[in-house]
Amino acid sequence: MNARLRPWRALLMVLTASGLALGAVAAAAAPGQPSAARATRAVSPAAASTCDPKASSLRPPGPPQVTPGSFMARIRARGHLIAGVDQSTYHFGFLNPLSGQIEGFDIDMIRAVAKAIFGDPGKVVFKAISDAQRIPDVSNGTVDIVAHTMTITCDRLKQVDFSSVYFDAHQRVLVLKNSKATSLDDLRGQKVCATTGSDSVARIQAHKAIAVQVPYWTDCLVLLQQGDVAAISTDDSILDGLAAQDPWTKLVGPQLTDEPYGLAISKQHPDFVRFVNAVLEQLRTNGQWDASYRHWIGNPAGQMPQAQYAG
Amino acid sequence: MTTSVGVSSGPVTTAPAVHRAWWRSRLEGATSPARLRLLLALLILLSLAWGVLAALTADQHASAAADVVAVSEPLSLDAEQIYTSLSDADATAASAFLAGGLEPAAARQRYQADIAEAAVRIEAASALVGSSAARTELPGHLANQASAAGSAIGDDLAMLSGQLPVYTDEVGTARADNRLGLPLGAAYLREASARLRGTLLPAASDIYTRESALLTSASAQATGLPLMVITVLAGLGLGYVLYRSSRWLSRHTHRMVNYGLLLAALAGLISLVWLVASFVAGRGDLLHAQQQGSGPVQAFARAEVAALQAHADESLTLIDNSGDDSYQKDYLAQQKLLGPGPGTLLAQVQAAAGNGGPGGDATAEARAWYQAHAALRAQDDTGNHAAAVTSAQSGDAARSFARLSATLSDGIETHQAVFAASARSGRDAFTGLAVGMIVASLVMVAGCIWGLSRRLAEYR
Repeated sequence: MNARLRPWRALLMVLTASGLALGAVAAAAAPGQPSAARATRAVSPAAASTCDPKASSLRPPGPPQVTPGSFMARIRARGHLIAGVDQSTYHFGFLNPLSGQIEGFDIDMIRAVAKAIFGDPGKVVFKAISDAQRIPDVSNGTVDIVAHTMTITCDRLKQVDFSSVYFDAHQRVLVLKNSKATSLDDLRGQKVCATTGSDSVARIQAHKAIAVQVPYWTDCLVLLQQGDVAAISTDDSILDGLAAQDPWTKLVGPQLTDEPYGLAISKQHPDFVRFVNAVLEQLRTNGQWDASYRHWIGNPAGQMPQAQYAG
Repeated sequence: MTTSVGVSSGPVTTAPAVHRAWWRSRLEGATSPARLRLLLALLILLSLAWGVLAALTADQHASAAADVVAVSEPLSLDAEQIYTSLSDADATAASAFLAGGLEPAAARQRYQADIAEAAVRIEAASALVGSSAARTELPGHLANQASAAGSAIGDDLAMLSGQLPVYTDEVGTARADNRLGLPLGAAYLREASARLRGTLLPAASDIYTRESALLTSASAQATGLPLMVITVLAGLGLGYVLYRSSRWLSRHTHRMVNYGLLLAALAGLISLVWLVASFVAGRGDLLHAQQQGSGPVQAFARAEVAALQAHADESLTLIDNSGDDSYQKDYLAQQKLLGPGPGTLLAQVQAAAGNGGPGGDATAEARAWYQAHAALRAQDDTGNHAAAVTSAQSGDAARSFARLSATLSDGIETHQAVFAASARSGRDAFTGLAVGMIVASLVMVAGCIWGLSRRLAEYR
């Protein structure tokens, strides 16, 4: 009977996951990402000459085309695109209890890719994955593409390819309305929540706060509501979605970092990277990006980042 | 020792022999009235001693049997109900959540009934453990064991009463958020389910395990042989003494029958037969209660809890939408545990309930459910989430699980009834036995006095 009683869902256990050991792990996982370097990059993106996350993707040859023998042709033969997405980030990728469907801004990007391959935005199998699963799943081919509020970083670029930037986010902090904290610096020594595998963990630790790691961002909001953590630290795009679910929270802190979002694709499929970039170019010009932004994020629409390519 | 009285004789020379000779002269030289008085005193003493021993034995078995019925049985029933109610609440909450904001009224009622049942049972069990006076009456090692287990059970119960409201609070928040269409609801449901499985269920399982062990040892105490064997041997010994006494009397008084001693012997025989018959009947009932009652109940309950947890996993996988596979992994782990197959819970059910019984149905039903579940997973994995949800809510998977669950619940109920009836009849077999033993020994005393005093009177 022991197996039955195994606490296999260690939501509360991860509360204890903090301190030096994790700091070391996180530092090892993101050696190229000390927060100072990222702040510098935000001020002058061109400074990092060898790696520019915003201009790292492959230039599309023209409008999206499914060429014979390409990865897109294999997807078409299979009958559906397989996308790794978030299911708990309100407005970007979330399972809508009312429709029973995964919806959101990220999901709209994927549907546009499916439409370009099949002529039908419905031919997608969504696999809800956690932050920590994003790189392994796209690397080992479990999913064709990941749309998961995923920041393009130099470190991740070593493992996977990204599309051009489709959204610009900035790290901020979510606290309860009655909190006196105005930035991460005010939360030194306190518990701050982030998802396992997100780049927020290292940032929290760099600010001498205690990182509490959970599988999903909504789990962070549960902990904040229950008073188990003092704040949630991540991209404003995600925090906006959490704040929309609890009016007694607020976003604080300056927009210190740039978090350029890209769609992650295996390094084995450069043809698919170019294809997806071509789809994004279409969205940029045909008004669909604006429409999605207004629907999910806010009116008036922001500006879609200009595409920059490495080659 | 009475046999040697007045029979042997020996030299009277050495110092110790002088001492012995004094006794000899007392006995051999004593008048018959003196010997008769001595014999009478001895017989009275032996009769009373046997009465005390027999009454003590009867009381030990009676109180152990009463403990089985009054404390162990209700406590282990409470524990079993806490355990299955909580598992059912987990499965029902997840299933209702899966239906979306407009959860089925039946699911809501079932969840509430589960929580109410668990709360009532926790309270009842706490009251039983609290009034552990019944426990302290138990003899020796059993009392120690009971009090050690009692305090551990008390801790578990305190934890259950503390955590149950936290769990229901989280399920309530999950419902409210789900109703608003917020993904936060799923996070609360995951948290609630993790709390139930990580904290509440292990405590309930611990109580159940300890209670079952106590029930077994109380039952073993009630059906144990050693004390009864000693008592029966003592009774036979007393019978032999009575027989020799009456032989001695008939030799010395030239009367065939001493009616007083005959009465004493009859009373002794009746009480011995009564004691043995009660014990055999009570023991048979209690063993039957164990083999056809509590044993199968335990097997069915374990199987039902595994099935319920797997059912919750099925719903949670769909709610989690395969965010990670931990729920599906747990489903497969529960499936392996449940069986059928050698060493599995369903094999135990079948062994406990006998072939052709509900155990066989459960095996077939479990297989049908696994098949429906595999089909459901295939649908979900190929992007047909809606069809998978329908199957889990009202389709093949839901129906086959409902059949399995009903079979297992029926099995628990049936064998629980067998246990209750047999254990009660086992307890009743010991009713009045201790008093009867004392009365019988007093009759024996009276018989001895009557029989010997008539002989004594002849010397006046």
